[in-house]
Amino acid sequence: MGAPGFLDRDRTIAPPGYNRFLVPPAALAVHLSIGQAYAFSTFNLPLTKLIGLTQSAPDDWTLKQVGWTFSLAILFLGLSAALFGRWVERAGPRKAMAVAAVCFGSGFFVSALGISMHQIALLYLGYGVLGGCGLGIGYISPVSTLIKWFPDRPGMATGMAIMGFGGGALIAAPLSIALMDHFKSATSNGVAESFVVMGIIYILYMLFGAFTVRVPPDDWKPAGWLPALQAGKLITGANVHVDVAWRTRQFWLLWVVLCMNVTAGIGVLSQASPMIQEMFSGRVLPAAAAGFVGLLSLFNMGGRFVWASVSDYIGRKNTYLVFFMLGIALYATVPTIGHLGSTPLFVLAFGVILSMYGGGFATIPAYLRDIFGTMHVGAIHGRLLTAWAVAGVLGPMLVNYIREFQIDHGVPKAQAYSVTMYIMCVLLFLGLVCNLAVREVAPDRHHHD
Amino acid sequence: MDRLKLIALWLIVGLPLAWGVAKTLQNALKLFA
Repeated sequence: MGAPGFLDRDRTIAPPGYNRFLVPPAALAVHLSIGQAYAFSTFNLPLTKLIGLTQSAPDDWTLKQVGWTFSLAILFLGLSAALFGRWVERAGPRKAMAVAAVCFGSGFFVSALGISMHQIALLYLGYGVLGGCGLGIGYISPVSTLIKWFPDRPGMATGMAIMGFGGGALIAAPLSIALMDHFKSATSNGVAESFVVMGIIYILYMLFGAFTVRVPPDDWKPAGWLPALQAGKLITGANVHVDVAWRTRQFWLLWVVLCMNVTAGIGVLSQASPMIQEMFSGRVLPAAAAGFVGLLSLFNMGGRFVWASVSDYIGRKNTYLVFFMLGIALYATVPTIGHLGSTPLFVLAFGVILSMYGGGFATIPAYLRDIFGTMHVGAIHGRLLTAWAVAGVLGPMLVNYIREFQIDHGVPKAQAYSVTMYIMCVLLFLGLVCNLAVREVAPDRHHHD
Repeated sequence: MDRLKLIALWLIVGLPLAWGVAKTLQNALKLFA
């Protein structure tokens, strides 16, 4: 065995007295970068005008073709998180973050090549496959490290990082627009050049996270803190191996819990702009609808930190109980709010719904820690993220399909979303039942080293 | 030294995020204009 490389886990063990609050910025740097994925739609229209520049030429890519890029990225996020979760745990956060940086950054470069050659396969391979792998590995890489540094506040710690994923879009959207404006010329709309610059920025920023991250020594715990084993509160002191965990009832109950919570939120998020314009026809114009989408992103980001932090006090099961019960109440009220014509109430209702969507993502790692222990939480989290990939398809499909079905059957556009809202209530009820069924893992499933 | 490092690291991630939030809020205000 040679000396461990600079990226190896052994080289990232923090010295005694290390301030644990130096670690979250490393996680945030990675999540703020990969959160760019939520702003990919900024490139959708420009990618359909690469030849025509001002309007789509016959040989230009269609919106549908371009739309596959994001779907592929989310699919590969789920797949890579599930496949590489164990490797991430073994290799440590620095190596995982560095690999994520190279994948995500080079995804932009390959895509830029595809854009300049007008080869959509290269865009799919670059942003969809390579970038998607960067998203998945980057997403799970800091989670178990943060849980180990903050055993007293795991919700707050992971909430902070996962908040970055929500916040990344807030940075990437204006950055993409500014870059395209800068590189626009008589022969190019600046997309390829913007991709190259963004690739460089994100590689460097994610590597900054990789080089500053530290893991605590094995026996480390915060000064004065004693692990409280509260069996009644569903917090285990034992560990469950990832290969055992995914065969337990608890894993699949939590899979459905995450899937239902994400499906309910992501469907709305994907249709937010047309929905508010159609429900408040003539009163909310496209510019205001864009403002609504931005506001939802803020609630999505804020909810990640706030709800995950709250879960440290009220418990994960109770936090999801709030998500599902409040979610059902709000979705059931939305059609009435639409009839009343109250825009502020509508914005508030969806703001809270989207805060719980983000909160669901941010609270799940701590929930997994409580149920399966710390040892393989990163890998288990990776496998659970397949629920996100499923919800990413299910949510928008439900909202779009039901809306079109309603309109085709003569329902006015303003009322075409009512049935969708009630279906979301049913999905949330299913999540509520699964959450209530979550119990401790039986001791014979625990890992004995 | 540790405190300086702490402030620097948080500024490196906090400043871009604050910029993004400000830009988004600017856009969101159009909803109520």
